Amino acid sequence: MRMRQLPVLLAGLTFSLSAFAASADQWTLPVAVKKLDNGLTVVVTEDRSSPTVGVSVVYRVGMRLEPKNRTGFAHLFEHLMFQGTPNAKKGVFDTTITGGGGRNNGTTRPDYTNYFEMAPVSALEPILWLEADRMKTLDFNPATLKNQQDVVKEEIRANVKNQPYGAFFIFDLPQHAFQKWENNHDGYGSFEDLENASLDDVRAFHRDYYGPNNAVIAIAGDISPAQGFALAQKYFGKIPARPTPKPTDFSEGLNTAEKRLVQSDPLAQVPAVAAAWKMPPRGHRDQAAMAVLGQLLASGDASLFYQGLVKGREIALNVTPMFGLGGAFEYDGPTLLTVFALYKPNSSADAMLKAMDEEIARVTRDGVDAAMLKRVKTRMLADWNNQLESFMSRADTLAKMQVLWGDANVVNKIPGWIDAVTSEDIQRAARTYLVPTNRTVIDRKPAAMLAAAAAAPAAGATNNAAPAGATK
Amino acid sequence: MKKLMPLALSLALTLAFAPVASAAPAPDNLPMPAYGKDKPIPVPKIAKKTLANGLTVWVVPRQGLPRVDFILALRGAGFAADAPQTPAFANMLASLLDEGTAKRDSRAIAEAAQGMGGAIGAGASADGIFVSGYALGSQAAPMAQLLAEVVRTPAFPEKEVALAKANALQGLRASEANPGFRAERALGKAVYGDHPYSRTTATVEGINAVTSDLLRAEHAKRVRPDRALLVITGRITEAEAMKLAEAAFGDWKASGPALPDTAAAPAGTQPARILLPRDGSVQSTVRLGGPGIAATAQDQIPLGLASTILGGGFSSRVNTKLREEKGYTYNASAGARLNRVGGAILGGADVRNEVTGAALGEFLAEYKRIGSELVPAQEMEMNKRYVAGIYTIGNQQQAAVAATLAQNWLVGLPAEFLGEYVPRIQKVTAEQVREVSRKYFAPENQSIVVVGDPKAVGEQLKAFGEFTVTDK
Repeated sequence: MRMRQLPVLLAGLTFSLSAFAASADQWTLPVAVKKLDNGLTVVVTEDRSSPTVGVSVVYRVGMRLEPKNRTGFAHLFEHLMFQGTPNAKKGVFDTTITGGGGRNNGTTRPDYTNYFEMAPVSALEPILWLEADRMKTLDFNPATLKNQQDVVKEEIRANVKNQPYGAFFIFDLPQHAFQKWENNHDGYGSFEDLENASLDDVRAFHRDYYGPNNAVIAIAGDISPAQGFALAQKYFGKIPARPTPKPTDFSEGLNTAEKRLVQSDPLAQVPAVAAAWKMPPRGHRDQAAMAVLGQLLASGDASLFYQGLVKGREIALNVTPMFGLGGAFEYDGPTLLTVFALYKPNSSADAMLKAMDEEIARVTRDGVDAAMLKRVKTRMLADWNNQLESFMSRADTLAKMQVLWGDANVVNKIPGWIDAVTSEDIQRAARTYLVPTNRTVIDRKPAAMLAAAAAAPAAGATNNAAPAGATK
Repeated sequence: MKKLMPLALSLALTLAFAPVASAAPAPDNLPMPAYGKDKPIPVPKIAKKTLANGLTVWVVPRQGLPRVDFILALRGAGFAADAPQTPAFANMLASLLDEGTAKRDSRAIAEAAQGMGGAIGAGASADGIFVSGYALGSQAAPMAQLLAEVVRTPAFPEKEVALAKANALQGLRASEANPGFRAERALGKAVYGDHPYSRTTATVEGINAVTSDLLRAEHAKRVRPDRALLVITGRITEAEAMKLAEAAFGDWKASGPALPDTAAAPAGTQPARILLPRDGSVQSTVRLGGPGIAATAQDQIPLGLASTILGGGFSSRVNTKLREEKGYTYNASAGARLNRVGGAILGGADVRNEVTGAALGEFLAEYKRIGSELVPAQEMEMNKRYVAGIYTIGNQQQAAVAATLAQNWLVGLPAEFLGEYVPRIQKVTAEQVREVSRKYFAPENQSIVVVGDPKAVGEQLKAFGEFTVTDK
């Protein structure tokens, strides 16, 4: 079968990459995009250096749009996508990909849910068949629903309830930093809501959000755009489009007053603090500057926080930056730049915040010198390439960019956006976003440490200690 | 290539009996396609050279992204070389290599690497220390120099050593709150007894005993060209890579005699039953372990396939049973760990308290089954194809190739082993899998370690023997 040949959208780099030491270090991905009649967008990037392919199917639905009395449902649903269909009973999805020599997985994020595979190219057609099959319908089976309710609860116990810190820097901060339910509910879900999920909920969510018109598929690796488009048409082309509910308005502005709370951790032995600042919206002129700021301040041993807090003041054990649950360019709604750190028991959250504020103030006041800015950008551009090395993450990044930005070719534009950031841009972004009024802080202390502080008069500045382990 | 039909045929058979989808109209119920023709499995071309000082150099030129990866493996420099009084000292030695050299302080090293679009890192394992670095393609030469500088001339400045010790003490406290950390420490002792392989975690006394002088003395003994391998891969020619290796490491000299080889690990220990109490824990961290074999032992190939079938991937027997059938856990795994002078059989899952005993029962039943019943042909094929596919996928990523080559060398396997592995796995018979499984997965040889709430799980454990309750 011969496909209508679409013009390949070649990535045009119209900017200079001065941060790169040599033009040999530049790397551009070929990106071809086609929309099928049913609304499914297909992205193909060819690379014949390995007889393998990465495949990613990304749906435009995540935790923000799950039903209000069903926290954690988008993630539970993601699990159910692997639990069989009328055509491929439970187990067939995984054993087919395993037998094809491949791996697969899925993740749920605020703005999207992504399903991805990596395998020798000989498994590509069965993989596409399986992805198309579960886009059409699912098994809607009470036994598999119960099974995955149990599995998800074990996942939450393993990652949250039974772990020191309980990933509070991921799951608790948004609950306090955001005003709207879409942004501030627990995306892992309460056990009560998870247990209340019904097959009707599963049917409705699949019908509403899992149609081809609400999805992007990307294929990377040992395949040409023409082959990829033809295969997508063959396996997905006849799936009818389905109406997708209009998303609610979950936008919200920056915060105007700092929020700070103390949590008691029944398992942790060493205190930790997480500070989070609201980010500009996707596509805002400050987004790239915030990406560079995150790197400059908190990423790696050369960063200002590492050098100033782990070294220098010697009060922190580590410094870890996060942009929500993804990268600095992988969100489409209110998101946080979070810095998480363990600090020494003889220090305090106050000292940690003061130190961070001093480092930020220096950037705001003096800017970033040319040598430092060049180093930071060079590493960021190299990291961007690195994350696109594996065919799986290459396909996944392309599909995500198509979903979030409406343009898969953003993968080739981001290096230029990073390169264009100036010291003034960074100063402006720091002044706008990295201010205490836009900040939410959780000081997470070992229960024993809080108890000792409470026993000593005038110690323990705050009294709003939440029993964090019990409320998750 | 071998064409593998059985699995594809059986899937087609499943489909033939599958009910027609009723929930959604299925206009194109194409049957699931068979796997395509397999392409030849790529075999990395490895250029080899031994420098005059004994340093082995392996180069794997690639045409992928603009990055060069270096990894230097130091054989015999790992935990097995640590004195019983300073367990896991090798971690401290490795992590302090880039904290200051004769020429540069730690910040200058971190900033130099950042400016090359890369980083330097080091870590220890039982059999050695790995020091790795990566950089943009144009920065290969300065990165080779920086790597050599930290490997050959670390200064172990007093201030950095003091800070590393203070942070390691806090890090140890933080780790003690993690149930997996405690379980694996106890399991190591149960499997290896007094052998150095049991000592992979630090102690307070051991950390306190570290000095700059001790670090310098151990560096002189352990970090030497005649016990080292340098792997270079990425966008670089063989000639250029060999030139960089010679320039950076050619005049490196060993000082004094090399350390003696590690004695063979015990092939049999008395199975232990250990309960590490964790009051209020909402899960049990269940681990099983027994004596295994060295990476160069006769049985390693069939044992590798048996491990994959039993507990190696999502479709493995223990994960299918404990997660997908029973809903006991988020993830269950089992398999062989192969080291230079011995190895271990390790398995485990984190499960909710109520099913702790049941989960252990399922593990042991699967261990018994794979050692007594022949694995069906279809399952053998699925897993062989999985091993081949995972190898091919790994081969797509250059740092993974470098790391695997370095690890293989460290445990005594030649460069060619990487390319020979899949063909050797493909020759394994079901009888061989049963035979090695009977030997190594024998339930009666497994020690059991549980980290959990004794009040919640104590009764359930009685069926598995008498458990010693201990903190470590």
